Amino acid sequence: MRLRNTRANWGAVAKFLHWVVAIAILGNMGLGLYAAGLPMSPAQMDAFFWHKSVGLTVLGLVVLRILWRLANPTPELPPTMSAWQRVAAHCSHFALYLLMIAMPLSGWVIHSASGFPMQLYGLFEVPNIVPESADQSAVQDGAAIVHYWLFIAICVLVVLHVLAALKHHFVNGDGVLVRMLPFSRASDPIRGG
Amino acid sequence: MRLPAIFLPPALVLALSILLPTSALGADEWEVVHEESILGFATTQMGSRFEGRFDFSADMRFSADDLEASEFDVTVDVTSARTGSRDRDQALAEPEFFWFEEFPEAYFRTTRIEHIEGNEYQAVANLTIRDITHEVTLPFTWEEKDDEARVNGKVTASMDGGLTMEPLEWDVGSEEWVKDGSIGRETEVFVDLLLVRPES
Repeated sequence: MRLRNTRANWGAVAKFLHWVVAIAILGNMGLGLYAAGLPMSPAQMDAFFWHKSVGLTVLGLVVLRILWRLANPTPELPPTMSAWQRVAAHCSHFALYLLMIAMPLSGWVIHSASGFPMQLYGLFEVPNIVPESADQSAVQDGAAIVHYWLFIAICVLVVLHVLAALKHHFVNGDGVLVRMLPFSRASDPIRGG
Repeated sequence: MRLPAIFLPPALVLALSILLPTSALGADEWEVVHEESILGFATTQMGSRFEGRFDFSADMRFSADDLEASEFDVTVDVTSARTGSRDRDQALAEPEFFWFEEFPEAYFRTTRIEHIEGNEYQAVANLTIRDITHEVTLPFTWEEKDDEARVNGKVTASMDGGLTMEPLEWDVGSEEWVKDGSIGRETEVFVDLLLVRPES
């Protein structure tokens, strides 16, 4: 198993981070929607507790992902792609990274302004990132609106991301989708790809 | 039937002696300096401690040498509860907790005040929250300050005390909230008052 990326393929670390973050994001979107729909109750507090814990985990993992990506070669796009498709691919990936940072950050702001105590996975206190001098209610409401629209944006981009990957595989017939799959042979330079 | 005029003065005295609480005669009356006083509470939420406070009004009569006539009659504006979290404050208004609409006030009325030792006392009181009353005991210290501590020429005193209670006994919260530690089962209530004695 190769850990680092090459110009042609994703290494194990990049793949691992991609899929863990993907699963965490999808799960957390469901959890967030579920929690927001509950009345104020222990069940809601529990759901938000997990939502916040997972969300902050995603933030940490995405920071790692970006650092790892910067420290590694990025596999090239297939030469068959046109110029606008390359621009679209780069833009949407950049936007996804941006959203993956902004989403948990806006959640963290809501959390801080709400004044609710919170221990990440019950282990240690999550620091407040909103200054005490700020109008907590206004900050909370503003951040909640941002959090909502980021959610919509992520939904749109994830759908585009998945459709584009499927198009690469089924229409273009290139290895863009396969090279990100876990355990795919394409990532193994010895056995192919 | 009209009473002859001769009966009026004794009747007046009798009426006054019933209307005026006898305790007013024995123990000193104190006024709470609200800007310098706290009626607060603390418990945990998901394992983290938080504090809140209430606005209140209080009739305080206290003389160390006349505990018999000393009494505290406190009315708490529960709707004023502030815990540093809007969401939490809103939750407190719900029927599951204080139910502001139905029960906007809580009452703490002493039935007796006892001396423990030195400046330590304890107040045995009926605490009414929502429509439930239980007897509680509030240990406290009462310290009358020296002349240097006078406020606007008035003698001051401090009262510090606290007790631990279980809000569930007053139907505040529910077993569901406390069983997994979403909210602590026990709540500390603390008073830290600055008082002045108006007539001196």
